[in-house]
Amino acid sequence: MAGQDLKTSVKGQILSTSDLPTLPSVLDEVTKLVDDPNSSTEQVAKVISQDQVLSAKVLKMVNSPIYGFPGRITTIQHALVLLGLNVIRGIIISTSVFDMIQQAMSGLWEHSLGCAMASGAIAKAAGFEDPEEFTVAGLLHDLGKVVTAVQLPELNEAVRMTVQEKDITYYEAEKHILGFGHDRINAWLARHWHLPPNVREAMTYHHHPDRAQFYQQTAAVVHVGDFMVRLFEYGNGGDDQIAYFKPAAMKILKLKMKDLEPVMDEVSDKFMEISDLTF
Amino acid sequence: MVDVKPLVMDNNKDHGLLGLAKHRAILVSPDSSLSDLLHEIWPKDVLEFTCYTQARGAVEDLFNDPPDLLIVDSRVEDVPAQELARLVKSENVYRQLPVIICLDDTDMQKPWDWNKVEVDDFLVRPFFLPVVRERVNLTLCRALRALDANPLSKLPGNTSIIQKIQTLIDRKQDFALAYCDLDYFKSFNDKYGFSRGDEVLMMSARIIVNTVRSFAGEQTFVGHVGGDDFVVITSPDIIEEVCQRIIFSFDGIVPNFYDMEDRQRKSIVSTDRQGNVQTFPLMAISIAVVFNLDGTMKHYGEASAIAMGLKKKAKEDPKSSYVLDRRYK
Repeated sequence: MAGQDLKTSVKGQILSTSDLPTLPSVLDEVTKLVDDPNSSTEQVAKVISQDQVLSAKVLKMVNSPIYGFPGRITTIQHALVLLGLNVIRGIIISTSVFDMIQQAMSGLWEHSLGCAMASGAIAKAAGFEDPEEFTVAGLLHDLGKVVTAVQLPELNEAVRMTVQEKDITYYEAEKHILGFGHDRINAWLARHWHLPPNVREAMTYHHHPDRAQFYQQTAAVVHVGDFMVRLFEYGNGGDDQIAYFKPAAMKILKLKMKDLEPVMDEVSDKFMEISDLTF
Repeated sequence: MVDVKPLVMDNNKDHGLLGLAKHRAILVSPDSSLSDLLHEIWPKDVLEFTCYTQARGAVEDLFNDPPDLLIVDSRVEDVPAQELARLVKSENVYRQLPVIICLDDTDMQKPWDWNKVEVDDFLVRPFFLPVVRERVNLTLCRALRALDANPLSKLPGNTSIIQKIQTLIDRKQDFALAYCDLDYFKSFNDKYGFSRGDEVLMMSARIIVNTVRSFAGEQTFVGHVGGDDFVVITSPDIIEEVCQRIIFSFDGIVPNFYDMEDRQRKSIVSTDRQGNVQTFPLMAISIAVVFNLDGTMKHYGEASAIAMGLKKKAKEDPKSSYVLDRRYK
């Protein structure tokens, strides 16, 4: 019963998120762009695509029933065309920044951006159309961790302590403290925000791609992307554990380990490129 | 064709209207000072008032020849003003007629139930000329806006579109006028149903509006004729790029509105009433553009007639495409 009560209250807290803060670096860059009347939506989309919180806000807005096509839009570029720079400006102006916990968060930002890039590269290697959709799914795969940190700072701290004390993964520590992981929190958020089903399933099943209902491929791509970014030790997903890997994911993607080698090279180069991008 | 009466504001005129067309109003009031005031504000050729001191007679006129505005005074004795307003607002064919009710201080002691008395605005004695003028002008303007807005997209509809075009023609202003419509929208609707079709229309409206708006500093207008027909009015210099960008965005986004199967196959398969299986491509957008340069056009009808011809040409291509009318270039 206690577990159930905790879950209900946590869910309420999570879904009442109204103003997610982000890190200042991307926000500053986007602010400059939207203030410049000569900026194109492509430029703005490119920058927003590097930030999981801004991307989530944009997708939440464009998929809200007010616009009349909930759950249809996956990419930031499309969202920007449909929302228009006026609305984007409104979102940017109303976004605040993290202050104290910024250091702890920047690792997660790098991890998410790294997973986004890796997911895009893996989708291409697997021969899927529209790799941007996989990139977005990769970017948002750990959003639940951000929302938990903002909405439930005490529980989040308890999870962090458990990771250190017991030397286990963040995911295991979440289950220990909360009784469920960020994948469950992702599922609540994605549904509440009317995010498209492919993104929703990838956010929900990136730890267990074989459990996804309709979009196993998206979930599997993000699973492998998550593994890869941990392997390269780019950013920080909340623990220093050795990456786990579900062979089922490769089966879903119809890829062999050696198919991943060129992807690894590509991703490694990309990580080098963005390593000077500090959050 | 819709009966078009352009209502354009002009703050250089004492009465505030440009007066492109004559509007007619009915006043029902025993107060002759009110009718004098109204006559003082608007000349007959801009807003003509037919005045009745009581409801009898007025009602018949109202129903046989609906005016553009009804002003009814609470001092009317034979039929209460609320009743007269209700009579108009309860009939769907007269509902869009804006009604202003005139009240005395004593009428204001208790709150009104505006759900029951469905008027559009009210005026309270003593009347001040500038207030009466602006209330009436605003009511006329708002009524047109509300009546004309497309119920789905909330974009301006036919009347506003024609009014906009005619105003530009009268001013001999250069403009490009683009008619956009969707190919294979009907087959999509047939397979997926109206609410999925509405999703596509809302998406198309957003693409068109934002694409046009992204050209900073240009005077632009977007209207929704109805169904899958949209109109864009903008400067001739940018129209070609506008078309290209609309097509690029539409083609990129529209696959999201199909189920996974159809999206992958890039077509929809449906069975018609005779049981024949038919295949249709994904939706595309066709745009026909006409120009008014150096005041060559005299009437909006010319623009739409040329555009309809061009649209056929654009539609010949199953993919998204645009056709520019070159006869003035």
